[in-house]
Amino acid sequence: MRPRDGTPIPEPEPIGPSHLLPPADVGFATAGGVTSRSPWELFRRRFRRHRLALVSLGVLIGLCIVCFGAPFFAPYARDHQDLTLGAVGPSWHHWFGTDELGRDELTRLLYAGQISLEIGLAVAALSTLVGVVIGAIAGFVGKATDQMLMRVTDLFLVLPALAVLALALEKFGHDSFTIIWVLAALFWMYVARVVRAQVLVIREQEFVEAARASGATGPWIVVRHVLPNCVGPIVVNATLAVAAAIVAESSLSFLGFGVQLPATSWGRMISDAEGYVGTSHAYLLYFPGLAILLTVLAVNFLGDGLRDAFDPTSEPA
Amino acid sequence: MSGGGAPLLTIEDLHVDFPTDDGPLHAVDGLSVDIHDNEVLGIVGESGSGKTVAALAILGLLPKRARIQGSVRWRGTELLGRPERDLEPLRGEEIAIVFQDALAALNPVMTVGRQIAEAIQVHHRIETAERARRVVALLDLVGIPDPTTRADQYPHEFSGGMRQRAMLAMALANDPALLIADEPTTALDVTLQAQVLDVLERIRDRTGTSILLITHDLGVVAGLAERVLVLYAGRAVEEAPVDELFAAPRHPYTLGLLASLPRLDRPPRQGPRFRIPGQPPSLVRRPAGCAFHPRCAFAALPTPCATERPDDVDVGPNHRAACHRVDALAGITPDDLAAERP
Amino acid sequence: MLSYVGRRVLYSIPVILVASFLTFAFVRATFDPTAKLRQSRTAASAIREERQHLGLNEPLVEQYGTWLGRFVRGDWGTSERTHEAVSAQIGRALWNTTQLIVWSVLLSAMAAVAIGVYSALRQYSVLDYTFTGLSFLGLALPAFWFGLIAIEFLAVGPKQWFHLSQPPLFFVGLHSTSGGVVDYLRHLVLPVLTLTVGIVAGWSRFQRASMLDIMSSDYIRTARAKGVPRRRVVLRHGLRNALVPLVTVMALDIGALFGGLIITEKIFSVPGMGKLFFDSLLAGDATTLTAWLVVTAAFIVAFNLLADLAYSWLDPRVRVA
Repeated sequence: MRPRDGTPIPEPEPIGPSHLLPPADVGFATAGGVTSRSPWELFRRRFRRHRLALVSLGVLIGLCIVCFGAPFFAPYARDHQDLTLGAVGPSWHHWFGTDELGRDELTRLLYAGQISLEIGLAVAALSTLVGVVIGAIAGFVGKATDQMLMRVTDLFLVLPALAVLALALEKFGHDSFTIIWVLAALFWMYVARVVRAQVLVIREQEFVEAARASGATGPWIVVRHVLPNCVGPIVVNATLAVAAAIVAESSLSFLGFGVQLPATSWGRMISDAEGYVGTSHAYLLYFPGLAILLTVLAVNFLGDGLRDAFDPTSEPA
Repeated sequence: MSGGGAPLLTIEDLHVDFPTDDGPLHAVDGLSVDIHDNEVLGIVGESGSGKTVAALAILGLLPKRARIQGSVRWRGTELLGRPERDLEPLRGEEIAIVFQDALAALNPVMTVGRQIAEAIQVHHRIETAERARRVVALLDLVGIPDPTTRADQYPHEFSGGMRQRAMLAMALANDPALLIADEPTTALDVTLQAQVLDVLERIRDRTGTSILLITHDLGVVAGLAERVLVLYAGRAVEEAPVDELFAAPRHPYTLGLLASLPRLDRPPRQGPRFRIPGQPPSLVRRPAGCAFHPRCAFAALPTPCATERPDDVDVGPNHRAACHRVDALAGITPDDLAAERP
Repeated sequence: MLSYVGRRVLYSIPVILVASFLTFAFVRATFDPTAKLRQSRTAASAIREERQHLGLNEPLVEQYGTWLGRFVRGDWGTSERTHEAVSAQIGRALWNTTQLIVWSVLLSAMAAVAIGVYSALRQYSVLDYTFTGLSFLGLALPAFWFGLIAIEFLAVGPKQWFHLSQPPLFFVGLHSTSGGVVDYLRHLVLPVLTLTVGIVAGWSRFQRASMLDIMSSDYIRTARAKGVPRRRVVLRHGLRNALVPLVTVMALDIGALFGGLIITEKIFSVPGMGKLFFDSLLAGDATTLTAWLVVTAAFIVAFNLLADLAYSWLDPRVRVA
């Protein structure tokens, strides 16, 4: 090759003439070596762009702080009631008004939020954990276990969820611990499917063979190779599960199958206020509903932002 | 540049940018070319050189976010900036296009026959029966066996080669004056490639249709085109009659492309084939000066190659090259380059 | 095609059988059919006799076999709550629920397709953002809360504000004794609205996404390159293809609605399937509950099947498979 001005000739890149052959300019937007970044850097960039998701994250953290810090933030003590006051609409002393027993609605809302959020978070965590474990087992063990998992999933999908939940709670009791695991029992399937699919893909790849040959065990392979590849769907699904669980719990509470007094959740508060529709005390209905709405909205936006941030093919919103 | 009479299609200083996170991506960067009646023009370039984008720009088919500048004139009438409504009568009727991935480019829930019939229907009011006859005739023209049965089948029931030929039939439905074939053979294996090229050749010989053949494959161009335009990083680097381009290229990139072609007409040399060093440039941060200079074996550095953008230089009749060093390249053949490997 | 249907139907049967067995076992484990007798302090011997009579001392599988035999012959037992034939009860409830579903689905489908197509074609327009915002709201609204708020602002509220003798919209049941079409519609609006909000939100998002996906596909570009007018490109090529996944999702959702209206029917006291389940669960009516669960599961399975069939009917690529 011709020398050029004394500069050493760079080694040819390994792409060679093959760069002339395969696919033509379909991916023109990415072709031509746009600077590459690490997946995490990309994730942070995309997520930060999602301002709504950032705001939502802030809202959720704020909600958790005020609800779980209710003893500090609530304007009144948990069991404070003023029977002579009765139900009075929002005022300076009682921002959200009081209920028929003269209890401060804001205080009740914060303590009820503890239960609602606790159930939402616990169900998301538990169902994700169960889903990952079962999905990984099904993917690795394969055959019979795998078949059984898929059939069980099918089976769960043909039963009307809310009815089954109500029935299950009728059998197992109504405390929040029971509610959490009953809900989790219905929420793990999606994660299990995602993890299973990923395991099936990964299992066939050579580096797993290599890892196995050098003595790596199933659990290690899952942690090291499988989970990083499906962290996106898992995190998004776990996020959305928080909202789904809060709504499910409040629906059950509304029907009377959820948490029982003295414990109160947002759904339970709405249920208690059902009789006030069309009366001057209808405000008792608004605030718990708005609390659920706000939480679910924030969780959904967060989930959406995470999905976009994790999925390199999704377009920026 | 070549041929006589007013050109059919004139592209002048065409620029197409796509906004990205890192700034505008210059997919097409000042492309100028004419296409005349009865002509087969080959456009050659690697992935990302802007060939497909340029083709889509002609028909106004680029996504909305694309920023387009310059001029595209059809029989003297400007096409850029015209509303969809004005372009619709032109598309498929005067200018037709064949895309490379026929499976994706055909509607999966419509029979092939109906998709071809639709191409006729939107431009000409003719009887259904007559239309059906034309569809069968078109399928026959592109060499699809048993065209009557095939017309009622869906794209997924066709083989890859047949799908590509069905696309061709659809493009030819209204006897267009210009057929743009965008990588018509890329997705196919060698025997099927030959079939499709055969059909293109027949079209060229039978009808007066001009063909704009877009490909990365110099072999395809050699067989079919009369004139060749070599594209690099969205810009035409060399244009010449096909024989002259192969015999006496005057741009280092063309030279490199030709040198890296496998040759069947002589025994294989020792060692690996020639390859152009380096990678295609970033279209966002284009190298200063000549976009090819970082990979060029002939570059005069730093000036002018790394500082000034080369202008087109006429190096012969109908032969131009955009290179500062055209004179240095006179008389160098691809074989010289290939033989001189370190 | 036929063998495809056949295979799908054959696969559904064991699913239903297993689901019904689990349902049967679970309800048995939850409720004791002799609980009422116990409460009324009936003699232990009488209870034993009743258990013998009901076959409760047999092994579970045998009980299930007996139950299944009767069930497929149309003998669904007698409700312990109303002492009425369960089949008659479910039939009546199904008819009411079906009315709600039909109206809600019709409205939702039209709205969702219109919104989805518009949003996809005018992506990032003011209206697209508005629809997107509303659908997020719709998806986050707890149905029961929305129902109560709707009663407050669309029925009771207007009645008070304007001193009407009747609320403009009714919120109890599906008919008044007076009857008439107008009366029927006034009953229908609120429950249908409550259902529609959530459904439209979900379906329109789905339709928007699939329409966007399809409008950027190669074959849409081909259609445009042929000179097909925009309107026709959107309807014949875009919408036609986008309907394939939407119809599938619709069928799946409709199936789930037959057992999923518990809250709406409770709020608006509509004597449908949801209300029946609620009342039966409160009363511990095991016979009705078992039949109810099997029937709703059957609806879900049937509509899953329908979704598959619709898919293969709409997309020729599936037919050969």
